[in-house]
Amino acid sequence: MKPVYVLGVGAHPWGKWPQKPQVTLALDALRAAFADAGLGWQQVEGLVAASSRFEGGMGWGLHANEIVQTVSEQGIPCINVGGACAAGAIAVQTAWAMIASGQHEAVAVVGAERMPKGFIPRPPGSQDDIGDSDYLRWVAMGATNPAYWALEAQRRFHEFGTTPETLALAAVLMRNNAAGNPYARYREPLTVAEVLASPMVSDPLHLLQICPVSDGAAALLLGSERFLDRVARDPVQVAGCAVGSGQFGDPARRIPTIANNVLPGVAHTSEVVGAVQRALGMAGIGPGDVDILEMADNSAWHLLAWPELFGIVEPGQSDWMLAHGRYARDGDLALNPGGGFLSFGEATTAQAVLQVCELTWQLRGEAEGRQVSGAKVGLSAVLGLGANGGSVVLKR
Amino acid sequence: MLDQTSFVVDGLMVEGPDGARLCASVCDGCGTVYFPRPVSCRNPECSSKALQDRLLEGRGTLYSFTIQRYQPPALFRIDNWAPYALGLVELPEGIRVMGMLSGFDLDTIRIGERVKLVSECLFTDPERGRVMTYKFAPDISGRAPR
Repeated sequence: MKPVYVLGVGAHPWGKWPQKPQVTLALDALRAAFADAGLGWQQVEGLVAASSRFEGGMGWGLHANEIVQTVSEQGIPCINVGGACAAGAIAVQTAWAMIASGQHEAVAVVGAERMPKGFIPRPPGSQDDIGDSDYLRWVAMGATNPAYWALEAQRRFHEFGTTPETLALAAVLMRNNAAGNPYARYREPLTVAEVLASPMVSDPLHLLQICPVSDGAAALLLGSERFLDRVARDPVQVAGCAVGSGQFGDPARRIPTIANNVLPGVAHTSEVVGAVQRALGMAGIGPGDVDILEMADNSAWHLLAWPELFGIVEPGQSDWMLAHGRYARDGDLALNPGGGFLSFGEATTAQAVLQVCELTWQLRGEAEGRQVSGAKVGLSAVLGLGANGGSVVLKR
Repeated sequence: MLDQTSFVVDGLMVEGPDGARLCASVCDGCGTVYFPRPVSCRNPECSSKALQDRLLEGRGTLYSFTIQRYQPPALFRIDNWAPYALGLVELPEGIRVMGMLSGFDLDTIRIGERVKLVSECLFTDPERGRVMTYKFAPDISGRAPR
């Protein structure tokens, strides 16, 4: 396989953008990524888009096609990938493979989203019967997404003695990290007392410990060695990338199912753990070598659990790490140094692309206002509906 | 019609002489028990994938819980909404099942408590009568699980 490099990255700030259609957000992010790389559409040999079900794509998730038809009809392959909240990572994996195989020299990746307000609605065409888990969880018990994360958090309180204050500290860290990040939506610093004073949504999770939804877009340009001399800086290499799906017997409470079979020895959140392990293996590094972890913090609980699931720290050790500043930007592991989902709000299909943008800025030393000093290895991890996991390892 | 009862969704549960039961399946090939009834056995080690219907008594232990402080969106119908507890229950068949909790004081729920399955009315509808769902309630019978 041929080595693959990140030639350029770009993003549109996260927020609510009612005046900007999703395709406009996507084009803004792509323009920024191309400018960053010093390249243009003329050099792009393929476009991979993370497909949204909320807007655009001609109703079929054809977002890449929509983009080239809008801005540059040049006959390149347009590949549209599904994967819900993990779609961005699957798009990166697809573009990586197109270049690593030697078939193409430069491929762009984009994820752009404008999220509907409130709870994410069921897709059109869903069946109102027991075969549809999303229907069943609502009618039988009214289980919201935060309820699933809350069940995990409550169990952690029981197993490891995690306190409400420590869980709140995770949300505080994300806001501190976002304070200087121009792409983050929520940048006002928070205190533990403010987090604990926010409304209780699903015990033990308060409102400020649950990620909201936002609009946003992110784009990358990946390329082969041929373009390295065009990139006048330390090259960032895609050292590993992988996607995975869930394992039978996984104990995680998978949205939107109401029950699962639990088998001993199967990893919790196996779709993500499997992807992380394969990506690290491909890069030839261990979990202890990771300087920065960009992970999907749908809730404050995820920030404690995931570094343990990936083997970066021991089970139950995250509380101590967090309380002692070891997950801060100047700690042993910089955890979501840009602020994470809690400070961005989730723009589903764009989120995993943004993770790779942030890692690139960090590894280049260009993460103004939020820089982790001397970082050499960055790991991303994301989970999507349908038990989709994705992970990317970047190295400088 | 108000004296009739129905369940929130067909195929979820039954109400027999011994009380409520969950509609589950067991795989003849690998012995895995599934709830709700799946289209196929999901065990990658199993090549038989021959499912048979089975009813679950629903006695187990509370693995985790949460309190829903906000009313869920409209697909969830409930009369007299108030915050309620949701539990995750470990059943002896190797399954963890989510369900509403009944008969608990919201401030004193403890992981590890023994629970049993009950059937309770969620809402009353002019067409469907009393619409029932399953819940888990404290098991004070002292009976050991199957």
